[in-house]
Amino acid sequence: MSLETFGQWLQSADVATALRESALVYPVVMTSHLAGMALFGGMILMTDMRILGLALKSYPISEVVNGLRKWKHLGLTITAGCGIFLFWAKADQYLSNPYFWMKISMFTLIIIHALVFRGSVYKRAEELDRAPVLPTNAKVAAIMSIVLWSGVVTAGRLIGYYEPPQKQQASTVLHQPIVAQSTR
Amino acid sequence: MFPALWARLKGSLKEIMLAYDPATNPLNNNEWAFPLCEIIHILGFAFSIGTVALVDLRLLGLAFKSQPASKVLKDTAPWTLVGLVVMWISGPLIFSSDPVMYLNNASFRFKIGALLLAMIYNYTIHRKVAMSEAKGAGAKLTAIISLALWVSVVAGGLFIAFV
Repeated sequence: MSLETFGQWLQSADVATALRESALVYPVVMTSHLAGMALFGGMILMTDMRILGLALKSYPISEVVNGLRKWKHLGLTITAGCGIFLFWAKADQYLSNPYFWMKISMFTLIIIHALVFRGSVYKRAEELDRAPVLPTNAKVAAIMSIVLWSGVVTAGRLIGYYEPPQKQQASTVLHQPIVAQSTR
Repeated sequence: MFPALWARLKGSLKEIMLAYDPATNPLNNNEWAFPLCEIIHILGFAFSIGTVALVDLRLLGLAFKSQPASKVLKDTAPWTLVGLVVMWISGPLIFSSDPVMYLNNASFRFKIGALLLAMIYNYTIHRKVAMSEAKGAGAKLTAIISLALWVSVVAGGLFIAFV
């Protein structure tokens, strides 16, 4: 099964077809995806900036990290959940879009980031509060988090700008020199 | 004097609109400029709306419970402003790529209305309630209205492409 037929098979599901063809539900799911970004993406940025000591300095790191954790989880669930539906509805287009793969790569890096730093930084926020100087790994974790999440947003927005090469166009290009030759 | 001045201003505005050719706008002549503006716009509203949401979570009693609401507001306000400034730079740039289309777009009009309302609300009622350390139903309602207003700004922006 090629990637193209796989995409077409995925989006032929009833739910995907209904979503794709709905003039209202599709943009509403997209709005939830974007609103999730606004509400919870901001919390991720603020958490990382607190770790770096750039914002909310009068709050213990542990209060920001632990207090916002469940809200960020909820936000990620909503945003990613809506994202999966958006992908499902137009799977064929997404699978052939290089920016979609850029976004997936970014997400893979975010999962690796979580595996590496969750235990050593984010689950030990109290230790960060006690440390006289911010440990390097916490600094790296926060900066990487900002870079990777901004990267996900960037790749996501660029998905909309990719124009797939059109088969019809290719054939007209192929025919042009032949026509030109015959008229000469 | 004022009606005459207004008429002149309106006349020159119209002249500018007529003389302006979006095709000359760098945003329409560079492949990356427009998407870049949009990405900055999204990151900008993540900042501003995300920080307003922190105050709202506090008013709802769902986060930063050990801190007074007025403190959460004061500490997040600079970042809210940073986000708003970023949006008010990137937004008009996006608008400049095709002003006539945006002005005639119902969703754009809704968005601008919602945005002005949300900003006025944020710096008046929302601020007053947070500073007064109000608790209970009033504070919660204030937070819910705030979240609803900002989400409707995002929705209005997205629907520009769908109406």
